[in-house]
Amino acid sequence: MTPWPPLLALLIVVPLTGAVITPVVGRTRAVRSADWSLGVMLATSVIALVLVVQVARVGPFSYVVGGWVAPYGIELRFDEFGAVIAVICLLGTLAMVFSRRYAAQAMAEQRIPYYYALLLLNLTGMIGFAVTGDLFNLFVFMEILSLSGYALVAVSGEKIAEMAAFKYLVMGAISSLVILLAIGILYALTGSLNMADVTGRLAGAPAAPLAVAFGALTLGFMVKAAAFPLHIWLPDAHAIAPSPVSAILSGLVVKVGIIGMLRVYQIAYGSGAVDMRALNHVLMWLGALSIVMGAFFAVFQDDIKMMLAYSTISNIGYIIMGLGLASSYGMIGASVHVFNHAIIKATLFLGAGALIFQTGKRTLTDLAGVGHAMPWTVAAISVGAISIVGIPPTAGFVCKWYIALGAVQAGHPFFAFALVFGALFIFIYYIRMVNAFYFRQPRDPAILEVTEAPASMLVPVLILASLCLIMGVMGSLPLSFIEPAVQRLLLPLGGG
Amino acid sequence: MIAALWHNLDYAASVILFCIGLYAVITKENLIKKFMGLNIMETAVFAFIVAIGVVEGGEAPIMGAGVEPPFINPLPQALILTGIVVALSTTALALSLIIRIWKQCGTIEADELREVE
Repeated sequence: MTPWPPLLALLIVVPLTGAVITPVVGRTRAVRSADWSLGVMLATSVIALVLVVQVARVGPFSYVVGGWVAPYGIELRFDEFGAVIAVICLLGTLAMVFSRRYAAQAMAEQRIPYYYALLLLNLTGMIGFAVTGDLFNLFVFMEILSLSGYALVAVSGEKIAEMAAFKYLVMGAISSLVILLAIGILYALTGSLNMADVTGRLAGAPAAPLAVAFGALTLGFMVKAAAFPLHIWLPDAHAIAPSPVSAILSGLVVKVGIIGMLRVYQIAYGSGAVDMRALNHVLMWLGALSIVMGAFFAVFQDDIKMMLAYSTISNIGYIIMGLGLASSYGMIGASVHVFNHAIIKATLFLGAGALIFQTGKRTLTDLAGVGHAMPWTVAAISVGAISIVGIPPTAGFVCKWYIALGAVQAGHPFFAFALVFGALFIFIYYIRMVNAFYFRQPRDPAILEVTEAPASMLVPVLILASLCLIMGVMGSLPLSFIEPAVQRLLLPLGGG
Repeated sequence: MIAALWHNLDYAASVILFCIGLYAVITKENLIKKFMGLNIMETAVFAFIVAIGVVEGGEAPIMGAGVEPPFINPLPQALILTGIVVALSTTALALSLIIRIWKQCGTIEADELREVE
């Protein structure tokens, strides 16, 4: 049985409408906007779940918006890579729950409804980005999520929040423009904006503009994904944003660059007109650099959220490297790491947010010994730390193992070495963190008097931490889910 | 080479505009000037995409008596209309951020702000 076709459109319409109405709902009492947006997110999650089950059973499907048949109208297309919406909905819902206490403390009451509206808009943008089959539509959703993202960084009220948001905005806007330019070139070459249609028409297009277009797309998406030399906007923005927003930004928004890159690959490999080998080589190196440099900078951070932000750069490096390897193992590992890293990093950021909320302190030095005062939160953070290092049987292990296998499979064992080397670095700084929480003498004995985080914060963190373990134990499930999509993607290369 | 450039004058102009904008974004210290650079880059990309749709001697594709092809491709214009809306919202957000930076730090020069940090 196929679900009602417009369900795919509802996936976008429900949170979008919900976001617009949120400020109205919360006009008299701010807390109503929290309930409302949580309700909207739950409804969206149900739709997402139905769609993911559907794609697992019958494969990709699409919906024609407004009855205008593709390639003339806008097509929404849902494939296995689009299943990232499941994680988007999960993290979105949990961040909403987490925000209840956080927002009440961090911002003025009349601003709370706008905060939730922005959060919903951001999630809508990501969902739309993941399911659209139209290049210009992709740009529009990218701008929805980017603009709301810039604003969300600024709401935290920290002293340099606006500056961090501005830096993020300038880098983000430039990358969006570069992507728009590439979309323009592709349109000029093919006369179409529908991704499947563009793929079909690219054969025989002149090489120079194609190279510019695909180079520009890669550059733009690498800025969005914060690959190493293009990462300068990320640490401040992610560290200064409110903690639930950090979880969304670090877990999901940087992945937009990766999903975008997967779409680029679908067009490039599908058309056979573009030689991606040179670009793949660049991606491999970018990935390896990001892994090592991100981990290197993270070692020297004392601010816990700053450390997590740098850790995001090195984890994105793993994903980019996996994509660049263009071997089936590497691709599968990278795609699954998009899911798993989202869960792990959200555990860590929400856990860190709970610590900061309860203690008012954010450096490892000040937080020493907090493990005795907030055992549950710190236990959850430790699970996240173990997962992100990639120790079996946690969620981080499977994907990194697959990416390493992919490096060997593609004939680049050197990159497998870079991967292991990076993992060692990551191990160092997470050990440092866990050590500080449990074994170091508290700097200020008052930290032992702190109570455990309230339930609305603790429960999301614990759910995510247990997911880190579950995704590790049932690691083969996402692997086998994503495999057909990767096989289809790599088919023109001779099956990878 | 020159002939090819002359023939594609519109594209060349947008590339030059794009570079001017990028130069301003990178070198200007004043945040408003930085952002104006970004606006120039936006204009360059928009002009490029609109130029794609131009057909020599084409008319606006409005159907009616006595209207005959060739028509200008209206799709890029429709796209850029959306693009302009996006650019407008980006500008609004950036300017409001700049106002708050001014209120908090008393300056909007990037080099002075680095010292404040």
